[in-house]
Amino acid sequence: MTTVIAPSLEVEVVAGDRPLREVNREIRSALAAGSDVTVTEPMSRHNLAVALTGAGRVRLRGSVGYYCGGLCAGPDIHVEGNAGWGVGEALASGLIQVDGNAGMSAGASMRGGTVHIRGNAGPRAGIAMKGGNLVVEGDVGYSSGFMAHAGRIIVCGDALASIGDSLWMGSVWVAGEIRSLGIDTKVVEPPADELREVDELLAELGVSATARDWKKIVSAEGLWYFEARDAKKWLMI
Amino acid sequence: MCGIAGRISTRVGPVGHDIVELAACMRHRGPDSTGFAIYGVPRESGLVVRAFLGDRRHLDSALDALRLVTKEAGSDFSADPTWDDTTQPHVLVRAEINDVQDLAAWTLAAEEQAGLQILSAGRSLEIVKDVGDAREVDAKHNISAMRGTHALSHMRLATESLVSPIASHPFWARPFPDVCIAHNGQLTNYYKWRRRLEHDGYHFSSENDSELIAVWNSVQMAGGHSLEESLRASISELDGVFTYLLGTADSIGMAKDRWAMKPLIGVRADDGIALATEEQALRSLYREEIAMINYDGPSLTEVWNAVQPSGRVA
Repeated sequence: MTTVIAPSLEVEVVAGDRPLREVNREIRSALAAGSDVTVTEPMSRHNLAVALTGAGRVRLRGSVGYYCGGLCAGPDIHVEGNAGWGVGEALASGLIQVDGNAGMSAGASMRGGTVHIRGNAGPRAGIAMKGGNLVVEGDVGYSSGFMAHAGRIIVCGDALASIGDSLWMGSVWVAGEIRSLGIDTKVVEPPADELREVDELLAELGVSATARDWKKIVSAEGLWYFEARDAKKWLMI
Repeated sequence: MCGIAGRISTRVGPVGHDIVELAACMRHRGPDSTGFAIYGVPRESGLVVRAFLGDRRHLDSALDALRLVTKEAGSDFSADPTWDDTTQPHVLVRAEINDVQDLAAWTLAAEEQAGLQILSAGRSLEIVKDVGDAREVDAKHNISAMRGTHALSHMRLATESLVSPIASHPFWARPFPDVCIAHNGQLTNYYKWRRRLEHDGYHFSSENDSELIAVWNSVQMAGGHSLEESLRASISELDGVFTYLLGTADSIGMAKDRWAMKPLIGVRADDGIALATEEQALRSLYREEIAMINYDGPSLTEVWNAVQPSGRVA
């Protein structure tokens, strides 16, 4: 017996100046009906394609504002432009790809899934991550990875100041130059099995397979045993 | 949270319209009050003055007193004053006067004797600020019709002072003509600098830290520093979180603190430069995809020069 699966319909949702609740409701309904969605005229507006659950593809044809794809679980979101602050914040699962640059706090507090920035990401990328992968093909701004509890931040370019500051169990991988390490961090030799995982992930995302000199940054574990009497030791300024 | 915006036109153009569009798009950042600083075509001599009066019923006597104060300063009105015709209790006045020898003394005298608050004075700067969002303020004061070289705007979410035109931005850097500020943030060493500047003889119209930043920069420039040098120095001398736009007669400068918590995005296009707290505001002028410059990093400064208009107002 042959099962014929009907090709999913592609639904167009125009954002423009329309109320955001309405736009997001239409995206959600289309995905629930099994359609893929193309959002036209995103106009850098905030909170597009947030809190979507389940599978399905959402393509945004232009730049988006703050928190695009935040709180999602499952969908595949593609931004054909730049993204403002907090793209993919608190992502639980799924994939968010940004063709351009991302503003501050990309992938902040994400718990799973993958956020892939083809350009650069601003400061505080992946802060307080609790899982998943944040891949940045360009550079990341200062204090990226701050207090990441888990997950992996992969930076193919350079990392600005205070990278990985106060890390917990997360790790930051940097192929380019590191301006400065954050407090309580250290650089370790990446294990072979993890290197393979990173290479596989990058290949899956279509990132060029250039040989890279990876530096893996992890916690030096001093703050794990923080004592108030040592507070001065940890002051940043 | 507040929002700020800036606009530079490559020629004398509708900067009033453009800055209203930028501000209207960020209404959600602060709908309590909205202010605009428009740099029109500069005069060869004389000053354009914008002022606030709390009680419209006293307008005639205030204008009489203003004229008297101006004459005592060796000047006079060079055109009849005008004012808004809204039904609000307060009123915003526009006056043009011949040059005065001591702008600081004239400002103090005008405020003491006419009961006005001088919102701005300069060859080209006009600050108009009122309660309400950008569209409401535009409807009251016809900002959209104002033409010029560059402009600033501020959308205010009142957190630490009144919802009133006089607590709104932009702030004039009194008594420095044509210098003003639109600021998003808070200073934590405000009182230290205020005491020092007051000790040096400067007077403030408000308790607002933004006014202090404008005066602080003006004092640096009056002391021989360039705008860029002053902005750079402000990052270490002023504590707090801030991104501010400082308008001068021929430029807009920007400085951002070491923590970089307050965003700014810019566009450099054929028709000029646009700056805003949020990218979506820039889309009100540039609907198509265009390269955006993200000023996300810490300790940033930038100066954008405005066009020098060929035809000056005589």
